[in-house]
Amino acid sequence: MKRRGRGMACMWYPIGFTVSANPSAAVVKVNEDGTATLLTGTVETGQGSLTVLAQITAQELGIATDDVHVVSADTDATPMDTGPIASRTTYVTGNAARLAAEKAKEILFEVAAPMLGVKPNQLEARDHKILVKGYPQRNVHIGDVANHARVVMGQPPIGSASFNPATVALDPETGQGKPFGTYVYATQIAEVDVDDETGEVEVIRVVASHDCGTAINPMLVEAQIEGGIAMGIGFALQEEILFDNAGRQINPNLTNYIVPTALDMPEIEVDIVDSHDPTGPFGAKGVGEPTLVPTAAAILNAIHNAVGVRITSLPATAEKVLAAINAKRGQQPKRIAAG
Amino acid sequence: MVTVTIKVNGETRTASVAPETTLLRLLRENFSLTGTKLGCDVGDCGACTVIVDGKPVNSCLMLAGQVDGRDVLTIEGLATIDRLHPIQKAFEDHASLQCGFCGPGIILSAKALIDENPAPTTQEIRDALGGNLCRCTGYTKMIEAIRVAARTLRDEVADQPA
Repeated sequence: MKRRGRGMACMWYPIGFTVSANPSAAVVKVNEDGTATLLTGTVETGQGSLTVLAQITAQELGIATDDVHVVSADTDATPMDTGPIASRTTYVTGNAARLAAEKAKEILFEVAAPMLGVKPNQLEARDHKILVKGYPQRNVHIGDVANHARVVMGQPPIGSASFNPATVALDPETGQGKPFGTYVYATQIAEVDVDDETGEVEVIRVVASHDCGTAINPMLVEAQIEGGIAMGIGFALQEEILFDNAGRQINPNLTNYIVPTALDMPEIEVDIVDSHDPTGPFGAKGVGEPTLVPTAAAILNAIHNAVGVRITSLPATAEKVLAAINAKRGQQPKRIAAG
Repeated sequence: MVTVTIKVNGETRTASVAPETTLLRLLRENFSLTGTKLGCDVGDCGACTVIVDGKPVNSCLMLAGQVDGRDVLTIEGLATIDRLHPIQKAFEDHASLQCGFCGPGIILSAKALIDENPAPTTQEIRDALGGNLCRCTGYTKMIEAIRVAARTLRDEVADQPA
């Protein structure tokens, strides 16, 4: 019969490694029509990192995300980037984009200050305008400031910056130091049905609560978490590279290297924890890889909760789970049936 | 060589191909319709899904010769210059795709489902996507988008004058 169980797993994950140099750089140019151009070396792989970088740049300049034209991943035109790896893009490249936009904004403020008769530090950028803090009716359109900067002041509003997470070397005596820029945290709870006659495990529901700093784009954060959970389910229950005695992979295709399909997916509930990291761009940290870290552990704990067996090697295939259930039954004293 | 004439995205096209040519290669190499993706080439991944006479098929498993005289819809046949197809729009609105490689196949599987069953349940959507692999998204946002698109398409039908 099917037995229901629940399991939980927690994790932390480092964002912004500092073991070696880990820089990102960015160039932001504010154009005369009030749009901006961001040059970044990072590569969009579908996770939406360019959208997030455009949002960060737009937020710093007080313009709309659609007004940021992102030029990416072209070493002829963009700074080299450490890459969309290690869940670092929002944190490291995002910081570089924000700092570059801030530098361009400083030029805009210097140029706008005499236009508005105030000091640069009395200005802010929002709603496509450079305006006097507390007196929003005193403003100039950001495009007019950009034009004035170039044509009249001879100082085009272009900012460039790089960000490299600060390193504190590990003390060989105490092991203390700062190996990463920041950390993210998550808890996932899995609910499973285990068939104690076949060993088959079905994941019914996963609830995932993630601290990724301030979510720049909550919909994309959700998408990352859901994708990570799918990979975690494959890791927990299905995926295994098998080799023969000569070291040749015997399942080098999708016919027998089984990845989750839509039919394997549970109901997923995502909770993005309210959080703010002062070292991240607008409080953001990262979300990519961490999403997959606790899933398999939560599922294996749920299997234990359902049928009382500990599976200690992945994947927890039906054969493995059934063998563990049978082994446990074998250890128990046989009961003599009544009657 | 065999001569194949098919109606693809409403347009009649003819090509002369080697008999072992698959529909997938006919579309990509002879007709330059590269929106249909070559993934595993053995019918596991569903990236090459197209609609033949209303049914979703893995175009890597169908010979071009088998399609002679039939009606084929590929991803290029969905959007017009003015607007995305409601399924594509829903996928965009819900961030349903990430790397996007599975997208053309998934969207055509969804279209074949909705054409046949305008109000699919979540389980029916899962079943319809069962032959399409996606490594990025966990399918959740696709299922959500397909439900929304089905509703949009039902409303469009309801709004049409009798």
